[in-house]
Amino acid sequence: MAVAAVHAGGIADHIHPEPEGFIRKYVFSIDHKIIGIQYLVTTFMFLVLGGMLAELIRVQLMNANGGFMTPDTYNEVYSIHGSTMVWLVIIPMLTGAFGNFVFPLQIGARDVAFPWLNMLSFWLFPPAGLMLYGSFLMGAPAAGWTEYPPMSLQGQAGTSMWCAAIFLVGVSSTLTGINFLVTLLKMRAPGMTYTRMPLFCWAQFVTAPLLMIATTALGAALAALFVERQFGVPFFDPTKGGSPLLWQHMFWFYSHPAVYIMILPVFGIVSEVFPTFARKPIFGYKMIAFSSCSIAILGFMVWAHHMFTSGMAPFLQLPFMVLTMLIAIPTGIKIFSWVATLWGGKIHFSTAMLFAVGFIATFTLGGITGVFLAAVPFDLHAHGTYFIVAHLHYVLVGGSLMGVFSGLYFWFPKMTGRLMSEKLGKWTFWLFFIGFNGTFLPMHNMGLLGMPRRVAEYDPQFQTLNRIASSFSFLMTFAILLIIINALYSIKNGKKCGHNPWNARTLEWQIPSPPHYYNFKHIPSVFANPYDFNEPLPYRGLEDELTDAPPPVPAAAH
Amino acid sequence: MAVENRDPAVRLDRGFWLVTLLLAVLAAIGIVYWALLAPITSWLPEAVDKAQQIDSLSRFLMASGTALFIFVAGYLLYFSIAFRRRASDGPDAIGVQIHDNNKLELWWTIVPAVFVVVMAIFSIQIWAGIQLGDNNGMVVEALGHQWFYSFRYPDVHGEITNEMHLPLGTPVTLHVTSYDVIHSFWVPDMRIKADMVPGIINTLRFTPTKVGRYQIVCTEFCGTLHGEMNKQYLVIDTPQKYKAWYQGWQQKNAHASDAIPTQSTGAISLSGGNVNAGKMLFTQKCSACHALAPFSQKVVGPGLKGVLSDPAHPNLVDGAKATPENVAKILQKGYKGDMGQMPNQTANGLTDKDIADLVAFLKSTK
Amino acid sequence: MAVASSLLSTPVTHGHDDADQLYIETRELRVQGFLLFMVSDLVLFSSFIFAYLYLRNTGQGWPPPGAPHVDIWLAAMNSVVLFGSGATMHFALENWKHRNFMKFASWMVATIVLGLLFLGGQGVEYVSLYTKDHASWGGSGIFGASFFTLTGMHGFHVFVGVIYLTVLLLQATAGTYTFSKYTGLTLGTLYWHFVDVIWVVLFSIFYLL
Repeated sequence: MAVAAVHAGGIADHIHPEPEGFIRKYVFSIDHKIIGIQYLVTTFMFLVLGGMLAELIRVQLMNANGGFMTPDTYNEVYSIHGSTMVWLVIIPMLTGAFGNFVFPLQIGARDVAFPWLNMLSFWLFPPAGLMLYGSFLMGAPAAGWTEYPPMSLQGQAGTSMWCAAIFLVGVSSTLTGINFLVTLLKMRAPGMTYTRMPLFCWAQFVTAPLLMIATTALGAALAALFVERQFGVPFFDPTKGGSPLLWQHMFWFYSHPAVYIMILPVFGIVSEVFPTFARKPIFGYKMIAFSSCSIAILGFMVWAHHMFTSGMAPFLQLPFMVLTMLIAIPTGIKIFSWVATLWGGKIHFSTAMLFAVGFIATFTLGGITGVFLAAVPFDLHAHGTYFIVAHLHYVLVGGSLMGVFSGLYFWFPKMTGRLMSEKLGKWTFWLFFIGFNGTFLPMHNMGLLGMPRRVAEYDPQFQTLNRIASSFSFLMTFAILLIIINALYSIKNGKKCGHNPWNARTLEWQIPSPPHYYNFKHIPSVFANPYDFNEPLPYRGLEDELTDAPPPVPAAAH
Repeated sequence: MAVENRDPAVRLDRGFWLVTLLLAVLAAIGIVYWALLAPITSWLPEAVDKAQQIDSLSRFLMASGTALFIFVAGYLLYFSIAFRRRASDGPDAIGVQIHDNNKLELWWTIVPAVFVVVMAIFSIQIWAGIQLGDNNGMVVEALGHQWFYSFRYPDVHGEITNEMHLPLGTPVTLHVTSYDVIHSFWVPDMRIKADMVPGIINTLRFTPTKVGRYQIVCTEFCGTLHGEMNKQYLVIDTPQKYKAWYQGWQQKNAHASDAIPTQSTGAISLSGGNVNAGKMLFTQKCSACHALAPFSQKVVGPGLKGVLSDPAHPNLVDGAKATPENVAKILQKGYKGDMGQMPNQTANGLTDKDIADLVAFLKSTK
Repeated sequence: MAVASSLLSTPVTHGHDDADQLYIETRELRVQGFLLFMVSDLVLFSSFIFAYLYLRNTGQGWPPPGAPHVDIWLAAMNSVVLFGSGATMHFALENWKHRNFMKFASWMVATIVLGLLFLGGQGVEYVSLYTKDHASWGGSGIFGASFFTLTGMHGFHVFVGVIYLTVLLLQATAGTYTFSKYTGLTLGTLYWHFVDVIWVVLFSIFYLL
């Protein structure tokens, strides 16, 4: 198959001049790699904040009658914990941080399609975080991250601030989604057809429309809640003709696809880590890519499974139940494909690989409980209990966050040119894995035996289980701190590792670490899918990348 | 471009089949445990008929989930150990270069798909038993407040804010709703719950099957003391005991008002009523049941145009003369009669000033 | 909008008239990005339309008791004005493509004037609803929540569009665009047609349904 060459004088030949000065280089940078690292640093700061709130929650729940915080403070703490982890940590980490840094390199582009828009997306994000935490000063929102009215209509002044903050994050996500989608559609290197894209790109490709569409829907819901709180425009207040269920529909129409925004990129990370460390092609490339698409499409049709007990017409429950169960099929295909990728490999258990394998185990468990919850009769029992808490943390912590850690250990050398400590890394993994399961496994039991979620105090029969969970949670928090310490230490002191320490085959590993601001000296051509370990690399035009050949000439400044 | 037959033949060795056998045995044990042995009722009694149905589904889900997890985690662990890079492998050692196996992939699409179909059919069956019953049971109402439940029984005046009793073996239709924010009515031993959403009535149907005292728990966040909203109990009695309890409440509440206790009890001052504000309120609060038209145009209640000025307008529904004071009294207390029920001041969310505004507006219609 | 479209720009040399490879590729990116932006804007409208239809079908029925009476004839006239502006916008771009600046400018002015007329019509409608029926955003129950929110959002889009088109006209006069490099004008036209289409939907669901 003939591979089209880069058109002379086109965008691929158009290189921004090298940014000069600290501000242009590191603060208001338009370089996708710098922006990615900015996202990574910011999200890890919010991870620490959100993690501290989580520990406050676990300390409060050590005793059945609470007592560490007042119930009102506790309600604020868990609401901000949830909002932080969803909107300020997992979503921007997976799209903003890893998406930005990795996929333009993987498709052989010099930057994303709209670098200035990318910068704007990032700079909307820290102010939103500050606003969210600023709401503590004016009385934080206290009705959970879902902020169901009428509770949220009566919430303190900070609830409106919450709306505004999340709206800003939403705008940032939407712009990122548009940017990524255009980049992936239009800026792939010559020869990089859709079936030759690395699976991480596929994951971002599927996530971008979700970001773009679902987040806007959330924006509408937030705007409605905001104007109802501030100007009394009745959307949700039943005493004025509104409907509390309308919020639940509008909110979950976003928040269910958001679940896939938080997991699809992780599928992508794992699909890169597995072949690299098993030294084997990913098993069933097309099925993995295709199942991502079907998950994304189905993801838009199942939102009301969060509302089975809320009071929707019973006959409407059926399609939502069946469609939700259908998602188990593509998800199962992915899991089986990853497990099959290990078969016959020569698996190198680096920390990244350990986290990826751990991810499969915990995510499978979280996925199975998810299918349970899809069954309406089971959900009638488990809805709103600690079983839900267990399920969502298995998916978001055991799933997304472990994927993030895997990605961090995997791409850290590309970002810095140095390795994170593998020895400490392996310790970290086991601490985290044990701490995580010890924290959240007992919550399944609590929930099924009758402990509701979002409570500041609870029936004494659950005290033992809660104390077990709280104790293990310290282990988990400690492991996260170790990861951060490891990263900070390794930036300056890690082992230098050259351009491709893992012997990986995707494009980003064929250029120096960290990459030059222009990414590639010449845009390469792509001849095949990257995962054939017994064949030479399927790229042409990379000969100069690791030599002293002169960098490309920037376009004239305008 | 791709060489179609480059994938080497897959040979599964004895180790693989032994592990498969082991996992199959473990999975079988898991299935047998969840399907037959797990003492679910000793963990959590089955208080109503629906609990048994839901538990049978739970057993099915747990059994299949356990089996699936054992296989995935088992193979994950086995492959991780068996195919780890050994010291004897060079750094350039690569694995078997397999890309696809259409047959295998077809199977692991079909088998889960069949399983999903089975699960869906089973779930729908149970779902139909729970959701599609008719409302011919004994009707009881549970109402959510911040932060307690109250209950209404047929032919018992007022509300019961203590325990909720139900007779063994009698089908019950439980309507739930809320006065303020969203609550939820969950009895873990019943395995079913319904959210109590203001403005919406949700229904649970069940038949008590086991005498006992069961905790009622709120699972929707409802404010400061949400965690303490688990202090009330559902008591399932023998029919005799239930009757005694029921008659006790009938006598105790014989003179209780069916109206929800209102904020104001005295006469409402009607001075300063604002016609425009009243008009707005009328559209929001009254017009679902009352037309702004002559008396004869009934919606649920009669048309109210000119109620205070039309000499042809008959007396009010409670027999009193149509004076501003008497209209205000009905607005305040509500009314229950053969036409239906008009909610009182609290249920309608009206302040005293609102009532004054409404009366002023009604006076202005001629 | 003008901000959005300039954010979607990658630095491009202007001045010489033939569209080079860089311009062609950049145009593709910008048009695609702008289309996607409109998709997400459409989702925003759809969410509120969903909210309106949901509220309309629960609760007290529609129009909710005592809701102000909307004047279909005023709205119909207003619609004609807006659709007319869509046509004039189309002629403006066509004339640009045929390299006739004066005709382009006149059609642009016509579009902007029609846009302003539409806003004026909407203002008249709001004022009459307010004075005749005391209807207001926060005080008219779910009628306010849906009617004023949606038509207000659309009016805001028209308002932004009028400013956007004015900026484009000034830019065109100042020589920002050439007869072969006019992506900005294309995007402006797309936006204006988008606002038109949204109005078709809003008019149908509020006045005809």
